[in-house]
Amino acid sequence: MEAVESRELQARNYLEKHRIMELLNHLTSVLLFIRPPKPREYLISLLERLRLAKATGIRFPFFMNNSNIVAMFDMMDPSGKGTISFAQYKEALKNLDLCTADEVLNDDGHIITLDKFRDEVVNTSKGMDAPNSYHTPYCTSTRLTTLSAQSASTTET
Amino acid sequence: MDATSAPHRIPAEMPQYGEANHIFELMQSMLEQLLIHQPQDPIPFMIEHLHRDNDHVPKIIILGPPASGKTTIAMWLCKHLNTNLLTRGTLLGKEFSSVAEEARKQYQRFKGWILDGIPQTREQVLMMQTLGLAPRHVIVLNAPDSVLIERNLGKRIDPVTREIYHTTFDWPREAEVQNRLLEPEGISEVETARKLLEYHRSIIRILPSYPRILKAISADQPCVDVFYQALTYVQTSHRSNAPFTPRVLLCGPMGSGKSLQAALLAQKYGLVNICCGQLLREAVEDQSKLSELIQSFFDKEMTVPDDIILKVLKGRLDRPDCVHKGWVLHGFPRDLDQAHMLASMGYSPNRVFFLNVPLDSILERLTLRRVDPVTGERYHLMYKPPPTPEIQARLLQNPEDAEDRVKLQTDLFYRNSSELEQFYRQALTLNGDQDPYTVFEYIESGIINPLPRKVF
Repeated sequence: MEAVESRELQARNYLEKHRIMELLNHLTSVLLFIRPPKPREYLISLLERLRLAKATGIRFPFFMNNSNIVAMFDMMDPSGKGTISFAQYKEALKNLDLCTADEVLNDDGHIITLDKFRDEVVNTSKGMDAPNSYHTPYCTSTRLTTLSAQSASTTET
Repeated sequence: MDATSAPHRIPAEMPQYGEANHIFELMQSMLEQLLIHQPQDPIPFMIEHLHRDNDHVPKIIILGPPASGKTTIAMWLCKHLNTNLLTRGTLLGKEFSSVAEEARKQYQRFKGWILDGIPQTREQVLMMQTLGLAPRHVIVLNAPDSVLIERNLGKRIDPVTREIYHTTFDWPREAEVQNRLLEPEGISEVETARKLLEYHRSIIRILPSYPRILKAISADQPCVDVFYQALTYVQTSHRSNAPFTPRVLLCGPMGSGKSLQAALLAQKYGLVNICCGQLLREAVEDQSKLSELIQSFFDKEMTVPDDIILKVLKGRLDRPDCVHKGWVLHGFPRDLDQAHMLASMGYSPNRVFFLNVPLDSILERLTLRRVDPVTGERYHLMYKPPPTPEIQARLLQNPEDAEDRVKLQTDLFYRNSSELEQFYRQALTLNGDQDPYTVFEYIESGIINPLPRKVF
């Protein structure tokens, strides 16, 4: 019995260490979002890209492009003033996994405009460490898929 | 931005794609392999696994007492499914050459395997489990001991092809094979009885290890029957845990019981019951632009044209309760064009049932229907007769239920049904001429079990 339990523990530790569940969740959400006609080949290409990303240290193709950044900014700024508050900015970066909860960002007293937001997002994402960046994209892209599904639904309703 | 404040509306294409491409099973098998082997580098391992694409390769174990015909069945299955057969004999032989071992392991993964008579003890079962060799189907052959002892006496082996023949049941046709047959050792009654004793002792401990994938087949019947039973079993896939919203289509002539089955299904599984005629009548009541159009067709007693029906249907199927809970549709695609239009709208059913009822039963069911105009109660002169003669005196019949109308409608249905059956290739045909709960059970098992796919 002890052997069985320790195997189970071993399996759980393995899953946690390599973040397999997040990886599989990410792969499934990408598949359901893109709906390629040949799922196996598409999965293979995704995994190859991931492997390359890990090997060469270049960050995994980031799902966030300019239109998404603009969309996110607009969601936070419904009245269209052109600026968002610092608290919103920090929340947004946390949602994108670009800063940890405890990180203290400089509140230089200026409110954040769209350009500043965009620059910050792009620069912070470039500056992430390569080995760790292998892990964060899953969380990012699943949240982005839900975000875009959410924004699609809110625009429809 | 939260799921609680504005519920996520998942577009219907996502679960449909997931079901059609078996994404859940794909991920499940990948996770299984990851957990069994626990590679240090998961990503290259996963890439290799996807390239191999052997999720549907046969993995079968055949167990049974001596003389039950295991080896014969195993060999036939092996030839039919084009896979590898491993018996105690072949494994022991190959153990000497390690290169052969390697080759065998590689080969196994591509084509799958059938194990004949292994495992023989519980310890072997446990060893197999730790190595990660899990079968997908386990067949156990059963027969009474006396039959087996007698049968074993007639066992003969062909030394060249190693095929097993029998003096009474399975005599080879070619004379040269007949001449070279040898009697194997250990087939005397005493020997067989001893082997049977050992077998019974060990099999009791092995069977509980394969709870849901076990099937017992009686070996006391002709070989061919056993083979066909084994083959059909091996080609069915087991119920999976994949998320599944049933979208059921019931087809059949009028009086086949579609509305009743749909109501039972809706009640038991919470599906939305969509009856086409009912839907149109509701649309008339709704007082929309379409309702006047539909009303005009009802007044003239003409069938409502397809595009109007489709509009109403689309409106109903697009509603979130249908998308999330699933639906049961009956009375709609009555011919091939309508079926094409339904498919083009993006709403294909994932289970289709055809209820077959012979014309006499239909006539019996429909022409004897009566309604009591005072209470509104519906009676049937044979199945639910009215309690008092005075009620019987005032019963009325719906003109739609007159014999000639029924015959006309049934004719119309059968003219189109063959095209529909061709269109819905994975439809299940059921005998609707039984009592409703039996038919319901058939429908249920058709929905719950995965569709039979020609896997190999």
